[in-house]
Amino acid sequence: MSSPGLENLQRWMQAVVVHPGEIDEALAAPGAAAEVPRERVGDVILPTEALTSAERVGIYHSMYLLRMHDALANDYEALKHFLGDHAFFHLVRDYVQAHPSRSYSLNRLGDHLPEFVGRAADLKRRDFCHDLARLECAMAQVFDAEEVPPLSEAQIAAVPPDAWENARLRTIPAFRLLAFRYPVNAYLQTVREDDHDHPKARLKGEWVAIYRRDFKVWRLSLTREAYALLTDLAAGLTLGAAIEAAGKRGKRAPSAESLFGWFREWVSGGVFARVER
Amino acid sequence: MSNRWGFEDLGIGIGLRTVHFGEILGRKPAIDWFEVLSENFMDTGGRPMWVLDQIAERYPVALHGVSLGIGNKDPIDLTHLGKLKDLAKRTNARWVSDHLCWTGILGRNTHDLLPMPYTEEALRHTVERARAVSDFLERPLVLENPSSYVEFVASQMPEWEFLARLAEDADIGLLLDVNNVYVSSFNHRFDPALYVDAIPADRVVQYHLAGHTNKGTHILDTHSDHAVDPVWELYRRSIARTGLVSTLYEWDENVPELDVVHAEAMKAKPFRDALATEATLSAAVR
Repeated sequence: MSSPGLENLQRWMQAVVVHPGEIDEALAAPGAAAEVPRERVGDVILPTEALTSAERVGIYHSMYLLRMHDALANDYEALKHFLGDHAFFHLVRDYVQAHPSRSYSLNRLGDHLPEFVGRAADLKRRDFCHDLARLECAMAQVFDAEEVPPLSEAQIAAVPPDAWENARLRTIPAFRLLAFRYPVNAYLQTVREDDHDHPKARLKGEWVAIYRRDFKVWRLSLTREAYALLTDLAAGLTLGAAIEAAGKRGKRAPSAESLFGWFREWVSGGVFARVER
Repeated sequence: MSNRWGFEDLGIGIGLRTVHFGEILGRKPAIDWFEVLSENFMDTGGRPMWVLDQIAERYPVALHGVSLGIGNKDPIDLTHLGKLKDLAKRTNARWVSDHLCWTGILGRNTHDLLPMPYTEEALRHTVERARAVSDFLERPLVLENPSSYVEFVASQMPEWEFLARLAEDADIGLLLDVNNVYVSSFNHRFDPALYVDAIPADRVVQYHLAGHTNKGTHILDTHSDHAVDPVWELYRRSIARTGLVSTLYEWDENVPELDVVHAEAMKAKPFRDALATEATLSAAVR
């Protein structure tokens, strides 16, 4: 067999390196064997006294999944904790087959993990895992989002009182709003505090704002009503229209005290970037 | 001897790692310079970039990438290069380096530094791309010799010859990682002295030093430990040829406290001091 050219060699070696099975399976798999038949691997890679050709290329193969695992484990700490090391490793193995990195950066490797988890057939407590992955994915995105200064007190003071009704509040880029069916925010907190008394993976709604302030990612638990109002504001409704919608949503309109408390919390948290009039 | 572009000798630095951010900003330690992993700062507007801006204001930095894929058969990723150029400008990077390797094909990135076959075809391909990258960046690209675990039957020359010819033909700089030379020499059973002696001295703009993990049958380039004596001996041997060149210690696994990493890096100082003394005496005698 003549030696493969550079392109064929790269196709072969990549097919081997990223294969999810053992090295012998990787070398025999159609993707690799189409470039270099399994029995001809010795014609491509020199053996040493200590290692066969297959064992040598197997070094790269063994490191690939570990690297992907480490990148995802960094962003999905609580999901890994919930699933356990073994199940999480298998999830990573399957995920990177479906969504391999196509970027120069590993930062966004996990962006498709929530939707992948949501469709995974054999995952324990899949719906809980899906919510947990959505939460951790949003946190990773908020961590890296563009930095924009939050709305200042001076900017707020500059808005005439009668202009607020038609004003729109724009959120900072490092901001996400999420509604969950399971108590995943509470679960994440127990993981971070090394508290083994985790909330059960049973249906219990949570509404969370995730945002970055002073280069730290914060998670703010919201009531269902506050979540709905903030969602309307983030979508671009005027303040007047959003408050009116809030009043019609439930049996009772939020009290002025509640509204004031929410806005104070959101503004002091730095959730808004500017007021548009 | 100094490098042909006049890149300054920045002294002895360490690789910038996240676990040390707080201490560097708080204590502002006396470290000559930092090497920054380019891709970690390209798509973030958060704390990493904020930290880097402050460090680049106080310390000299050089950029070191892992995703250029200079040997890839896929087209060059111009988005990546554009971001690299912007980052270099923002941080006033003294130079921009990556590795002699390929990283993926068919649009994928394995995020590994995969070895090249040292063939005439691969050399032509890599020279062309290295020239294009230098043109785009408007500065000579600097490439590091990799550590590797396989040798290709197809190779027509040793790695050091490939690297030397690549550097000359593409007119690029070299980052000589003496730990990588040692690792590959163990894995492929060659004399590491031959390697460092064959490198064009006036193209070396930086050294890397690091620790590794000896598995018995092969050595893994883990950057997880202190450098072994033979690596320091290679460093001593090589700086005798290149003169004083910016030197950097990398520690990436089980990263210890900043002072431990810096102390390991500073083991380069006696070698550098001895060389400087020798140069002074030699000038005096002449």
